[in-house]
Amino acid sequence: MSGHTVERMLRWYPAGWRDRYGDELVALMEDDLGGAPPSARYRWSIATAGLRERALASGLLGRSAGADERMRTGVQLVLAGWAACIFAGAVFAKIAEHFAPALAAPHRAIPQDAFDAVQGAAALAAACTLLAIAVALRALVGFVRAGGWSTLRRPVLQAGAPSILVVVALARLAPWAHSLSNAARNGGDPAYGAAFVAWALLVAGALALWARAGAVAFRGLRPTGRTLGAIGALATIVAVAILAVTAAVALWWAQIALHAPWFLHGTPAGSAGSPWDPTLAGAACVMLLALGVAQHGVSRIVGARRELASHRD
Amino acid sequence: MRAPSARRSNDPPLLILTSLADGPKHGHALAKDIEAFAGVALGPGTLYGAITRLEERGLIEPVPSDDRRRPYRITPAGAEALASAVAEMHRLAAEGAARLGLSLGTIA
Repeated sequence: MSGHTVERMLRWYPAGWRDRYGDELVALMEDDLGGAPPSARYRWSIATAGLRERALASGLLGRSAGADERMRTGVQLVLAGWAACIFAGAVFAKIAEHFAPALAAPHRAIPQDAFDAVQGAAALAAACTLLAIAVALRALVGFVRAGGWSTLRRPVLQAGAPSILVVVALARLAPWAHSLSNAARNGGDPAYGAAFVAWALLVAGALALWARAGAVAFRGLRPTGRTLGAIGALATIVAVAILAVTAAVALWWAQIALHAPWFLHGTPAGSAGSPWDPTLAGAACVMLLALGVAQHGVSRIVGARRELASHRD
Repeated sequence: MRAPSARRSNDPPLLILTSLADGPKHGHALAKDIEAFAGVALGPGTLYGAITRLEERGLIEPVPSDDRRRPYRITPAGAEALASAVAEMHRLAAEGAARLGLSLGTIA
């Protein structure tokens, strides 16, 4: 077993764990294997245990990490869930564009309420995110002044570059969209369709990179317990909003499937149509994933809050 | 981490506490001993994951050593946790034996 192999296997573990147990684990591997290369099963044991230690150290699982660390991880999970939900929500908004005329008047109220609920919940979540940034601003300024910009520069630049591309591409895409008919915009013009998908992927990438930059910044902050508690509470509201968005999208889809399935395929009103739409199904899957991630984040926040409260009592 | 479980006799923390009950051992010696008395081959990741959790809970502690093969010993809290798990297993075994009409001494 070469030193390089050992080094690679140890990299599954977090740095703190390697500092404490790394030498012992290497000695165990030497005793177990002699000079022989490790089997796939042996590597698997190290890899899964290393990832588990990483999850425990970051507060993603268990209670090994402190309550503050678990609260931070919970907030970061909600932020990641919200970024995914924004993307899926934008896809939904594009699909749902001009849906009302496709429905007979008596069937319009519920899907319209569901659509309004999606917008209201998204606005609430966006407001909470901005409020959380405002609450964290003082700690962020302190972090940057203490030399944190060197940590932040790379993720911020990586997120900024595709964001500029998104704006530039939108400036080209918007006049093109306005020059097309509804039918051409909704799949009739393959060139426009391909350009829109490329732009949407760029938006998704930019969102993911901003979420990552936010997570890096948040990990570097040293907010007071009160500030962290406030951010945790706002993150919990964001997670509830993601739940509301997902439920409202499901209700909207069910209503359209029931009363105007043709709308999902752009075929004439009253024609036969399947309620199944792969793009909408993809968006719904991303929303469900976002919801799962955010709810796990909330469970970490709630557990950490309980522990912090019990320490205060 | 859950307490060493008396309901799962192949529970790694319980196996490690049992192995350390008769004296300190390092990782490789622990794995060999556990395989010998319980027939359970703990992978390196499982073994060190359990050692990490047991040390966090103060149930085992490292013995000062210059060797990379650092031995561990059971702490008083670890001995108490092991005794409690053994007592629970004994109660469970006695109940099972009684319901089967067997004497614990006759079960191999």
